Amino acid sequence: MEFSWPWEYDFPPFFTLQPNLDTQKKQLEAWRKLVIDYCRHNKIFVLDVQESMPLFQNKTIDRQLSSEGIKRVLEILQENQQIEWCDKSKKQCFVYWKTPQEWGNLIYRYIIDKGMTNTVCTFYELTEGDDVKNEEFAGLDKSILLKALETLEASNKAEVIMFGGSEGVKFF
Amino acid sequence: MRKRPGIGAIHKQRVEQERFRGKATELQDNVFEQMANQMEKFRTNLENFASKHRNEIKKNPTFRKQFQEMCASIGVDPLASSKGFWSELLGVGDFYYEIAVQVIEVCMATSQRNGGLITLGELRQKLIKARGKAQHHQNISNDDIIRAIKKLKVLGSGFSIISLKDTQDSSDVLIRSIPGELNADHTEVLKIAEAQAFTTIETLKCKLKWDDVRCQQILNELIRDGVAWVDGQSTTKTYWFPSFFKPLINEG
Repeated sequence: MEFSWPWEYDFPPFFTLQPNLDTQKKQLEAWRKLVIDYCRHNKIFVLDVQESMPLFQNKTIDRQLSSEGIKRVLEILQENQQIEWCDKSKKQCFVYWKTPQEWGNLIYRYIIDKGMTNTVCTFYELTEGDDVKNEEFAGLDKSILLKALETLEASNKAEVIMFGGSEGVKFF
Repeated sequence: MRKRPGIGAIHKQRVEQERFRGKATELQDNVFEQMANQMEKFRTNLENFASKHRNEIKKNPTFRKQFQEMCASIGVDPLASSKGFWSELLGVGDFYYEIAVQVIEVCMATSQRNGGLITLGELRQKLIKARGKAQHHQNISNDDIIRAIKKLKVLGSGFSIISLKDTQDSSDVLIRSIPGELNADHTEVLKIAEAQAFTTIETLKCKLKWDDVRCQQILNELIRDGVAWVDGQSTTKTYWFPSFFKPLINEG
């Protein structure tokens, strides 16, 4: 299904950081929502800031958000804990349209439903296997999966295991 | 030798004055009584007329408007009636009060985007959509909406009506739902920006014969009010108005 862009995306001033601070607040909030909705729709788990994405520009109206603007948008996202920088260089970030906690809960519920507690699954099985094809967490980025499993570990619902060079997890 | 006016004479004079005053008051009272009777008659006739043509008034916005105008011409304002004239007539909670509440809802829902400035056309479109499925849905006209808003204004709610063109019927009417008057200069700029939802200083200078400073000042005020946004990536700085921006208006 085609992503449905919000009205702001076709509004040229949306790509200029607004001088009126109240308006700017509305603008950044709209950008925040757009980034999250876009990533959710396209199952983007990691955002690369440098890459010129259709997200921060609209070729149809020939407008592009400046790097200062992009920086501000990412700041807002970080304040909302909806992104997390992959490293200090701030070139890439994880996008949490679902938080690691929410991913953890989703996966755990799936495991319970399938009666798969006390068995070991590989990470591959959890995110790429045929069985999970229709699940929301299919294709989940491995780093985020790990964070998700860590939240489950904290509540004693899972344990990450290394066996024979692969990573796996046992659920309780 | 002429007698100077004595106390008696003054007293007499006073009594006569009182009598005249009394007569005048009596006359006034009579006239007023006659007028009051006439008004009662008018009112009764009006209510009879309204009853008889109840369906027409309910269904037909043009007829409804003419009825209102007729009321106004004989000095009767059904909107001010405490008996709930319209609710009795149309059989729905106060018709205009209802519209007024819905107007507030639409304005609140959209003011984030348009800075509290909405065209009458978009307002009507959204009202009709919101009312759509209701059993007592009638055709509401621009006139109905304006009357409802005027009712709000009487309550001091911070609503104001801005006409971009001279005709009342025209859809070139803006409703401001945030307090803060837009003055004549602001309105001039809005008139020009309406067609394409944007304008530039050059255009304003050309059409209004203002100088740079005045143009910039008025535009800055519109930006400060949250009604205008700036586009810094056009050849010359462009000033946009979400209130007139079609894709926003047609959305939801």
